[in-house]
Amino acid sequence: MAVDWARYNRRKRRNTRTTFLCFSATVLGVGILGIILGTLLYKGFSGLSLQVFTEMTPPPGNAGGLLNAIVGSLIMTGIGVAIGTPIGILAGTYMAEYGRYSKLTMVVRFINDILLSAPSIVMGLFVYTIMVAPMGHFSGYAGAVALALLVIPIVVRTTEDMLLLVPGALREAASALGLPRSLVVRRVSYKAARAGIITGILLAVARVSGETAPLLFTALNNQFWSTDLNAPFSSLPVVIFQFALSPYADWQKLAWVGALVITLAVLALSIAARWLSSSRTTQ
Amino acid sequence: MVDVTLHLPTRSEVSEAERTLVLRRMRRSDIVFRRLTFGSAVSVLVILGAVFVSLIDGSLPALRAFGFSFLVTESWNPVTEKFGALAPMYGTIVTSALAMLIAVPIGLGIAVFLTELCPPLLRRPIGIAIELLAGIPSIIYGIWGLFFFAPFLQQTLQPALVNTFENVPVFSALFEGPPYGIGILTASFILAIMVLPFITAISRDVFDTVPIVLKESAYGIGCTTSEVVRRVVVPYTRVGLIGGAMLGLGRALGETMAVTFVIGNAHRISGSILAPGTTISATIANEFTEAVGDLYTSSLIALGLILFCITFIVLGAARFMLMMLERRAGK
Amino acid sequence: MNLMSSNAPAVTEKLSIKNLNFYYGGHLALKNINMPLYEKQVTAFIGPSGCGKSTLLRVLNRMYDLYPHQRADGEVLFDGTNILQPKEDVNLLRARIGMVFQKPTPFPMTIYENIAFGVRMYEKISKSDLDGRVEQCLRKAALWSEVQNKLGASGLSLSGGQQQRLCIARTVALRPDIILFDEPCSALDPISTARIEELIDELKQDYTIAIVTHNMQQAARVSEKTAFMYLGELIEFGDTKKIFTSPEAKRTQDYITGRFG
Repeated sequence: MAVDWARYNRRKRRNTRTTFLCFSATVLGVGILGIILGTLLYKGFSGLSLQVFTEMTPPPGNAGGLLNAIVGSLIMTGIGVAIGTPIGILAGTYMAEYGRYSKLTMVVRFINDILLSAPSIVMGLFVYTIMVAPMGHFSGYAGAVALALLVIPIVVRTTEDMLLLVPGALREAASALGLPRSLVVRRVSYKAARAGIITGILLAVARVSGETAPLLFTALNNQFWSTDLNAPFSSLPVVIFQFALSPYADWQKLAWVGALVITLAVLALSIAARWLSSSRTTQ
Repeated sequence: MVDVTLHLPTRSEVSEAERTLVLRRMRRSDIVFRRLTFGSAVSVLVILGAVFVSLIDGSLPALRAFGFSFLVTESWNPVTEKFGALAPMYGTIVTSALAMLIAVPIGLGIAVFLTELCPPLLRRPIGIAIELLAGIPSIIYGIWGLFFFAPFLQQTLQPALVNTFENVPVFSALFEGPPYGIGILTASFILAIMVLPFITAISRDVFDTVPIVLKESAYGIGCTTSEVVRRVVVPYTRVGLIGGAMLGLGRALGETMAVTFVIGNAHRISGSILAPGTTISATIANEFTEAVGDLYTSSLIALGLILFCITFIVLGAARFMLMMLERRAGK
Repeated sequence: MNLMSSNAPAVTEKLSIKNLNFYYGGHLALKNINMPLYEKQVTAFIGPSGCGKSTLLRVLNRMYDLYPHQRADGEVLFDGTNILQPKEDVNLLRARIGMVFQKPTPFPMTIYENIAFGVRMYEKISKSDLDGRVEQCLRKAALWSEVQNKLGASGLSLSGGQQQRLCIARTVALRPDIILFDEPCSALDPISTARIEELIDELKQDYTIAIVTHNMQQAARVSEKTAFMYLGELIEFGDTKKIFTSPEAKRTQDYITGRFG
């Protein structure tokens, strides 16, 4: 074979260039993560103190904490997940167990995937028009419903995926014992897919707890301690939004602390979800 | 002889009535459960429909007042109650397009690195790092952008761009104006960073569908890694990559918090990407709670409807393409 | 198709494997392999599943380089140099030692481009010469008459047997010295299999060929020399006729007669 060495060397050089570019891209990506996390730690850590978790959001110029915001987020996220998860699991169950090959499932899967990536602010608008406007006021309930609407597509997707992984032989064995369909699903499929489904829920919680846009005009915000869900309700992301954009230094500092708290919480949940799913696969 | 047979209750000993009761109860709960799952599945469709209907309903006053001109009017004046979607739409599309222009090559590069070039020990940590980037709430990107990135760009990149292109005929208009730090370009960068992990993850998954034998065949005739990727892997997964990019685009179009902080919130269209602007989601986020008057609120909801339609189309097309890839990979 | 008789003219060794040990991680998969590949002859590798025959083949074109936990010890001498050395240029090596895989793998390009792609990588060649080369290779692979009117069609539009012949044409286009066949017919129907075997018979006039197969009859049909492997060791190597009629090792005898495997 007559090798054209000029050509060959050119190819080698091109390969080196491409390798270098890909490597640089990776360094850039990982580097940016490092910078963002580093900034967050740097700005937020100094403000971390017990006060943050014990006092309410203060008016500008005063010291304070983020207690009502944190609690508000916990409550609304909790309710949102409590509403959205059952619906999501049941829908995913239908798609994987009862209607696996039906046209309805195909359509629902398609629509669900779109809702999964849809702008969350639009969901906020939707809840505004169906709850806030008719009720005449903002409320924690509206916020929770908006979050629930974000939870549903995530849980539907992961539930369906996890249930589809359950081997058919398992279901057949259960049916052969005389179990009716619903018990096959509840006693066998759910058990087999349990870790995966819980992972999906954790991921949904992680995703939803950091959402700001859907809460902006559903739950609005509340400076004081309130557990009245029928009134404007505080949440950490919205407080961060408000405080960060304000011109007050102490508010901005609290915003950074809040950002650090949310990020750590979300990362912890993601790690928990990942650990759970990997322990399943090593079984 | 002792009778050692087990004495189990025989069929006739268990009451027929008892058995029937149990079976009937099981059957009832079976039906109830099945109906519940069916209803839940349908509710997903109902949610979509309800969103559309309520958005349309809320936009009606604005649509009636402005008609089609809503889409092409730049002015946005709460005082005179003249609203137009052009500036937000422009901002949304331009920032998303620029973000994709930045994020797609970098995301592909990282995906190629992870699948072909990375030493196996580093593969998991880097993959996890990218996923962590995806998990960070968007508001974090927003405040990081506002307090760190924008000032940084203001000091470094933006003056450099202005100076470099000052006398270049076409480009000078693109990069003119005082370096504010915030603005369309900055927002595009932040969006790019947000979308990057998503593109990387999907590209990586898509690259993994290439049969190993195919890659080995290419290496087998002496291809370098660069050639294997460019001539075999990428063409093979072309449809999936485009679908993934479109999914990223769909996300970028709807992104609110990251953009709101750094876009500058100016309701105007400017030729320069260094200038401030606004996007649909940023407009809604900033102004909705302050909106007075039905027409104002309705115009904002109309903006939401436009955004929902755009993302619906983009995401629908993307899912369709990915569906085609899955079908082919399963073949 | 024909078995060389044992008084054939002397042939040179195109490739020599000396004291080859191969590791998957910590596991020793090939143990002290010593054997030659004779020039312009077909050498068949037979043995039960997992005996290491494919592994051995993949050492010869350094395919294992792609996988970090795989390594080889020993020597494989090809044209005087030990190709297992790190400084060996693997890309160039693979152009000189080609491989056809079990599953047909046309590239996602046109039929013409599948073949031209490789040639263009190595040679400066005019369009008309390239056209000629493509035709020559497709003829050599017995595919020309079937595709001459649709060279612009995608390689994936061909049938399984045709795709495999396309892969062979692609390999031949680089004018290699040795062609390695890794169970090339196991994914094909009997008619395509027969055509590929005919092809191998013709190809050996120009190329040195090594073929891994789990089909003993195929090995008996196409090869001059046969190597029987078992659990990573080379049990016996010799003239095909001898291996199949009067093997020296008992294990070979047992395998041939179907006592195991």
